[in-house]
Amino acid sequence: MPMVDTVPLETLAQSPLRSLIDKVRDQKIPDPLFFQIFAHVPGYTEALFDALHRSHMEGNVDHKLKEIIRIRLARLAGDQYFSNLRSEVAIDAGLTEEIIEAGCGEFEGDKRFNEAEKWALSYAKLMYTEPKKVNKRFYQKGKAYYSEAEIMELGAFIAFHYGLQVFMRTIKAFPLHDKDGNLMTHAESQKYYSGK
Amino acid sequence: MTEEKIDEGIDEYESSQNFTEAEKVALRYSELMDTCPERIDEKFYSELAKHYTTEEIIELGVYIGFNVGYHRFFGTLDFYPMFAPDGKLVDQKTSREIYGDTPVSQLKGTSEHKKFSTAAE
Repeated sequence: MPMVDTVPLETLAQSPLRSLIDKVRDQKIPDPLFFQIFAHVPGYTEALFDALHRSHMEGNVDHKLKEIIRIRLARLAGDQYFSNLRSEVAIDAGLTEEIIEAGCGEFEGDKRFNEAEKWALSYAKLMYTEPKKVNKRFYQKGKAYYSEAEIMELGAFIAFHYGLQVFMRTIKAFPLHDKDGNLMTHAESQKYYSGK
Repeated sequence: MTEEKIDEGIDEYESSQNFTEAEKVALRYSELMDTCPERIDEKFYSELAKHYTTEEIIELGVYIGFNVGYHRFFGTLDFYPMFAPDGKLVDQKTSREIYGDTPVSQLKGTSEHKKFSTAAE
């Protein structure tokens, strides 16, 4: 089990969180386990979900790019839960595992990413590994590709998701479903996604 | 809450007499989450559960995670507080001189901060 008890889904079905669970059912990010964990603090759940969901699904920056960044940050944070979830919206828009791997790897020399995308990926990479490099010069370069609103959108997105993923890593949650959509127990999911 | 207690809570909480065991474990939770999250294991969560309900643990964990994420981002933006310690509105240049460009104890502070505090007195 994750490090904290989870609230049963049957209980959540009767709660105000039901509408949020239904909202993301098709998007698959997060899955219902997120709500089962955070339902202990319902007020927080709504605020947290709103921040995560808006920063991920809304705004002007391409959602597929944000999805790559989200997964990259989850891996950096060591969060097995979020790093193994995939946005159906991003997949439907054409994002593939190959592109995700390329964006999470050595993207700097990869022709599949344009300069704007490379800057955004660098932003995510450097923020928590070499933050001193995210300096005035770095931001000036970003302004060649993005408006200030888009830069703030990206920065806040990175901050929200990385922070939560750092916490989720310690909880040791794993997605509820395998890649084919089959429901698994926590032990099955842990073995499926981590091999352990 | 005093600046002395803030500093003690950041730097010396483990040996301090001014924090309860519950407070110490929460402070340890925040320190580890940012510096070595791999040490937040089942044993650590059991220790937390001696002092806090599941609701409180989630509240703490999310709060800490959010702060870990957000402060790094804000640090890159190079913003400073709008107000000096005495409540006067200051520009960003002055604020930087007062607070310094590296977060430090407001008691030890930067030399400019000390000068400003003395002048304000």
